[in-house]
Amino acid sequence: MEPPEIARRLEEFIRADGGYDRVAIEDLRRMAGGASREIWSFDAELTRGGKTEKGGFVLRRDPGAHKIDTSRSAEFRVLRAAHAEGVPVPEVRWLGKDASALGAPFFVMERVEGETIARRLLRDDEYAGARSEMPAQLAQILARIHRIDPKKHQLDFLAAPGDNAALTEVRRYEDNLKKLALEPHPAFELAFRWLLGRLPKTPRTTLVHGDYRIGNVIFGPEGVRSILDWELAHLGDPMEDVGWMCVRAWRFGNDQKPVGGLGTREEFFAAYAKASGVAVDPEAARFWEVFGNLRWGIITISQARTHIDGFVKSVELASIGRRTAETELELLNLIESA
Amino acid sequence: MQDRPTAIELLEAAAEFVDREIVPAIKGARQFQVRVVANVMRIAAREMQLEDPAVRAEVKALAELLGHDKPHLHSLDDLHAAATKLNGELCERIRAGEAEAGDFRARTLRFVRQQVEDKLRIANPRYLEADLAARGRRN
Repeated sequence: MEPPEIARRLEEFIRADGGYDRVAIEDLRRMAGGASREIWSFDAELTRGGKTEKGGFVLRRDPGAHKIDTSRSAEFRVLRAAHAEGVPVPEVRWLGKDASALGAPFFVMERVEGETIARRLLRDDEYAGARSEMPAQLAQILARIHRIDPKKHQLDFLAAPGDNAALTEVRRYEDNLKKLALEPHPAFELAFRWLLGRLPKTPRTTLVHGDYRIGNVIFGPEGVRSILDWELAHLGDPMEDVGWMCVRAWRFGNDQKPVGGLGTREEFFAAYAKASGVAVDPEAARFWEVFGNLRWGIITISQARTHIDGFVKSVELASIGRRTAETELELLNLIESA
Repeated sequence: MQDRPTAIELLEAAAEFVDREIVPAIKGARQFQVRVVANVMRIAAREMQLEDPAVRAEVKALAELLGHDKPHLHSLDDLHAAATKLNGELCERIRAGEAEAGDFRARTLRFVRQQVEDKLRIANPRYLEADLAARGRRN
């Protein structure tokens, strides 16, 4: 579907869904990023009863020919709950549950201006202030996410973790590796054994963001503006998000600052404990950090497979297949030091 | 027998051109993708140089670790097939809990680290160097 056709159909959908008299869309353009999801930006004038609202919006749409196991309507409902509980997220506006309007499910949210390129955050002078503010901000926001009551917001439909969230996740990724890997990976097998011998008890089950890292943050010179990409949200151990934030790949070489290249584990854990009232058990965080590196390693295989199997032909996805060894080295460092 | 330049020289020339002439001429998200293009050409060039001795050493080390006779293989395809089979066997033994402690764990960790470092010498030597330097500082 070409952009003018998308704009025309979207105008009609929003007009009917929102009960507007007139909807005019301008400057609809595809945005970079969103390897698994199409992201479009547009401006719109919405008129109802003689009053006109003007705004910038973002359309998130499933790509047509892709195998998708997440749901736009689930992400829409999680974003709405997060917004209601004061988490900085774009406000969601309209949901297209099925393929009838735009050929694939989608939702529209308000556009938040700012930067998302993590390398800029870590290197540019403009963001020096953001760099010092963000470890504490990210910990406070994460504590707020983990306080969201899934029952209150009817989020019980999200995948539940079973008796032991850690074991459920480890088994899920063992299964993924078995399905995806084209070569044996002894380093990953060693990491699985390490994890299975150190499963944390799960004292809490909360909403888990599922992809909480600096690449999914809109920021400005003052710090965090918005948390993006909620499609992997689920119910589980909140320490999963804490460990994922510490994965080496999100540091972009800034390894002396393990939390997203921005801060130390100690300051991040302390800020989280202060905001949530729940202390971070360093051993549980370590478990989830090892799990996170392993999960990212398996995702690199999955991204390479997307190219190799021909779903999406992309030199970028192909090159990610050669990043698997980076995660293997980090896993060896982690499991040999503990 | 082909004439010079070699395949490695051709790939390096192409990567050099992309980095020097194309990357500065392109802005935005596409620039990143063009950098990726130069990077994958360099990976391929390093692999042509380093993969043959690395996979020979890997198969020899695996046979020793697993207590097999050293296989006498010559072609790179046969070596890759042997490495895949022997790595599969090592994975089975790790999954069976044989590498939890003791001498086999120590030898397995030593082998796997060597294997991963050999992959990184081709895929991302700067990452490996930074890691070795950081660990050198800690020890």
